[in-house]
Amino acid sequence: MVRFVLSRALKAVLTVWIAITSTFFLLRLLPGDPTTLMVEGDMTPEMQAALLKTYGLDRPLWEQYVSYLRELIQGNLGISFRQIQPVTDIILDRLPWTLLLAGCAFVLTVAVGIPIGVTAAVNRGKWLDRALQGFGISANALFVPSVAILLLVFFGAQLGWFPIGGAIDPDTRGTAAYLSLAHHLVLPVLSLVLVQLGPYALTLRTNMIEVLGEDYIRAAQARGLSARRRVWKHGLRNAILPALTLMGLQLGTLVGGAVLTETVFAYPGVGRLIYEAVGQQDYPVIQGAFIMLAVTVVFANALTDMLYAVLNPRIRL
Amino acid sequence: MSAPVLTEQALPPVPAAPKRSSWSGYLRQPIVALSVLVLLVMVLMAVFAPLIADEPTGAGPEVLQSPSGAHWFGTDDLGQDVFAQVVWGARTSLVIGLAASLIAIVLGTTIGLTAAYFRPVDAVATVVTDVMLALPTLPLMIMLAAVVSPSVWTLTLIIGFFAWPEVARLIRSQGLVISAMPYIDGARVLGATGWRIVTREILPAVVSLMIVSVLLTASRAVISEAGLSFLGLGDPDAWSWGRILLNAQRSGTIAIAWWQTLFPSLAILLLVLAATLAGMRFNDNRDPRRNGG
Repeated sequence: MVRFVLSRALKAVLTVWIAITSTFFLLRLLPGDPTTLMVEGDMTPEMQAALLKTYGLDRPLWEQYVSYLRELIQGNLGISFRQIQPVTDIILDRLPWTLLLAGCAFVLTVAVGIPIGVTAAVNRGKWLDRALQGFGISANALFVPSVAILLLVFFGAQLGWFPIGGAIDPDTRGTAAYLSLAHHLVLPVLSLVLVQLGPYALTLRTNMIEVLGEDYIRAAQARGLSARRRVWKHGLRNAILPALTLMGLQLGTLVGGAVLTETVFAYPGVGRLIYEAVGQQDYPVIQGAFIMLAVTVVFANALTDMLYAVLNPRIRL
Repeated sequence: MSAPVLTEQALPPVPAAPKRSSWSGYLRQPIVALSVLVLLVMVLMAVFAPLIADEPTGAGPEVLQSPSGAHWFGTDDLGQDVFAQVVWGARTSLVIGLAASLIAIVLGTTIGLTAAYFRPVDAVATVVTDVMLALPTLPLMIMLAAVVSPSVWTLTLIIGFFAWPEVARLIRSQGLVISAMPYIDGARVLGATGWRIVTREILPAVVSLMIVSVLLTASRAVISEAGLSFLGLGDPDAWSWGRILLNAQRSGTIAIAWWQTLFPSLAILLLVLAATLAGMRFNDNRDPRRNGG
């Protein structure tokens, strides 16, 4: 077990390292490299050279790479071009909001997806099953900002049930603050869940149908166990494991969706930060945000894999 | 923005290109016919955009008009016609969708087939594919698009370059099945080179899977382009559906002018849904077990 956890963590570190290294070199090979973005046009060549020297951009590429990695390991992502503040601080300020948003969407997708997927599998060909298949396929065509804007216009602007932007009412204290937090969270989370739910429930349905045809389910039936017990106890336990892995793989798209949702709802997470940084061409913030999100996704994925190993009795480690 | 439509388990063990008779059977399914019709209309709209509507430029006097006979999809806060924007946006979406998906298919097929047949390559290719699939793609594309000056072609390259891993994985798993078949051993015994086996024996067997991948990858590419444009990373000189949504977002008219966001959203939904359905039905169709061989 310890060996598995270690090797999975090592794989995650390796993934992050490959990502950081390849993007580092890719970015310096591309035509518009960050130095020209930062250096304003009306500078004298001496000023440009001085600025390049300050940021260490005049040194050989591999030296830049080594010092970049050294800084990264110490948690230094550079200084923002527009706000004179370390990028790490700016992003850590925003990251909890994105984690809250994506985390709620994740939990809700699983909590709603499991009963829908199982019920559809048990009632194959009935209306719920058909509806789920249609919904699961068309979810592929849902564009997150479209869904978010639709919810915002209808439930936010027209009906006025939910706030149309922000994460919390700054004037609230205590319990009211938590309520305001939840109130602001509803529409952004719903946008993500609507996009993720269909494919998730559909996968669970497919797994469940396969599992329900297994011998041990028929054995349970022969032993006289009730249908409810067979499905929800014996079946679900085996169908849920592959669905867990799928959810781990979906974390990347979940984070991508969060970037878009946050932009629509002016939600103060990393996604909205990226949108603002794009508008201001604040290059270090964009790169830092990518690295932080990549680290988060890769390690969350590793965690789901470890959870899978713990939950699956067939893997004896 | 969702689970892959095709999983490796969903693939039939024995590949077969649809026979001529099954082509007409494929097109005769109502859903397929409707999807192909939608795709055709979109293509015609993109090709003949200048004949359908004037390119939206500058500002007009009729600001934020709701849909009417004169402006079918209403106007935005600058007085530009939203219908014209949607028509011209079809060009960008289709060009990027198709071109990016072609890049992804060529890269993905090359890498997938090479990995399936040449064992030493497989280890490296699998690691690279896994790394790419493990990363959040949208933030990765944002980072690259932010550095290069955004144009239709740079966006195509960026989107195409990050869409190949899923293609490579599909093609590889199919290629592995075929590599293990007796006729490949036969070719080897007859002295065929590895290159010849991959291009002449294995490649034809995955062609139908490639067609499916083109449609599904193109629909993902359209969504990616819309996402990047919505975040302000689109081509500033070309209309795109994501850019129309961005304009509504920037001008703060989202909550007032529903028509400015609804119509481009519907365009994205229709195009992607049609491509996805056509691709999935094609995949079902090429499954010989369902067609009786």
